[in-house]
Amino acid sequence: MKQTSLCNAHKELKAKMAEFSGYEMPIQYSGVKAEVQAVRNNVGVFDVSHMGEFFVEGKDAVKFVDHIITNDFQNAGLHKAVYSPLCREDGTTIDDLIVYKLKEDKVLICVNAANIEKDWNWISSLTSDFDLKLSNLSENYSLLAVQGPKSQEVLQSMGFQDLESFEYYSAKEFSVHSKDYIIARTGYTGEDGFEVFADHTTILNFWDELMKQGVTPCGLAARDVLRLEVCYPLYGHELSDQLTPLDAALKWTVKESKDRFIGKEALINLKSKFRLIKLSIEKGVPREGYDVLNEKHEVIGKVTSGTMSVTTGKGIALALIERQQFPENKVFKIQIRKNIVDANYHTKAFVTGGHK
Amino acid sequence: MTNIPTDLKYTKDHEWAKKEGDIVTVGITDFAQNSLGDIVYVELPSVGENLDKEATFGVVESIKSASDLFSPLSGEVTEVNEELSDSPDLLNQDAYSNWILKIKINDQSEFDSLLSASDYEPLCQE
Repeated sequence: MKQTSLCNAHKELKAKMAEFSGYEMPIQYSGVKAEVQAVRNNVGVFDVSHMGEFFVEGKDAVKFVDHIITNDFQNAGLHKAVYSPLCREDGTTIDDLIVYKLKEDKVLICVNAANIEKDWNWISSLTSDFDLKLSNLSENYSLLAVQGPKSQEVLQSMGFQDLESFEYYSAKEFSVHSKDYIIARTGYTGEDGFEVFADHTTILNFWDELMKQGVTPCGLAARDVLRLEVCYPLYGHELSDQLTPLDAALKWTVKESKDRFIGKEALINLKSKFRLIKLSIEKGVPREGYDVLNEKHEVIGKVTSGTMSVTTGKGIALALIERQQFPENKVFKIQIRKNIVDANYHTKAFVTGGHK
Repeated sequence: MTNIPTDLKYTKDHEWAKKEGDIVTVGITDFAQNSLGDIVYVELPSVGENLDKEATFGVVESIKSASDLFSPLSGEVTEVNEELSDSPDLLNQDAYSNWILKIKINDQSEFDSLLSASDYEPLCQE
């Protein structure tokens, strides 16, 4: 099992550790509730160094990235970040990722840990007609996500300047106390926050400084609750090699107006097989794999992610429903062991994060 | 250090049992609540239900996972702790004063064969 550079720091803090995507990762420290609340109301930090970093550099960097993702990157401004699925020609999803326009000729692609190898094999097979250099620096970078309403204050006190004018979903290279960072105003919690990419030693020092400032260390369990409360999809749950972005309610990331991109033809012609919906229940906890039923108690879909929302105190779930079987009356039930419980259908996210 | 009162009996599934007459009170141990983390839901059986020894009688759910509860003994459910329906986190606050259910037992020897505190302690290694 691989370890991040902060593994010992987590163990000193008595984190519960577990395997995640081949890495030994902190699942929780003080407790999931306290960690979720710290991020919603104050500031917390996650070690997400297991995630992958690819760099695309050269004259065709932006053109290339625009070609391989479904969302629009060509027209994104300098320093902007863009969330996008990465699809095959047939529209199925290899991964979902964030691309950062660091310079007009330098792009950072941040990918899911479990998909680093798959993404690398795919992306590196597509470069032949482009003038660029592609590198996988996943092993060289550590990554921390500082998240919560107080995150700007914390970074400012550590010497990062001009954050007031630093827009949500943008990224810049910083040099502070002669250390180099890439800072992005992005995250996976719905709150304002920053993702901090740097070499391992720099991140170790950065982490220590955050601990001194009283920032709450948060594990992957809290991260999952936070992302589910704001209904962000997670690859392997709402997205997979078998699903297209259309199945996961990500049509907004498929830009048909682009001249061409990989998967365009399929995605223009395909109808989604599923509808991704948001459900909550009053008592109990919906879990991945539970059946979703209609009024007549017929199985029409499955929960893809479920948890107890710390912020609302309700069991919450994302579920994929067979498009053909989507009930007009929007009456949904979830089978929990031997019980069938009524579920509330939501059109908006369970929690509105405070991001800028 | 996990708290293991010496006046209770235990199971390998990290439950405790306490006998008064032919009524046995059952709960989860301090080690169990600590391993589970924030407990957010407890599914209880109905009063009057007959349980077999080691049969599943309910579920304790933390944010991350759902864990079955197993009946340490055979008998009839005489009472369940309804307070846990609204405040499952009571189990995190004190796993011993917040019991889960009471069973009227038929077979005294089943209780005698449960683990003592000193037998149970070695099962509480992280």
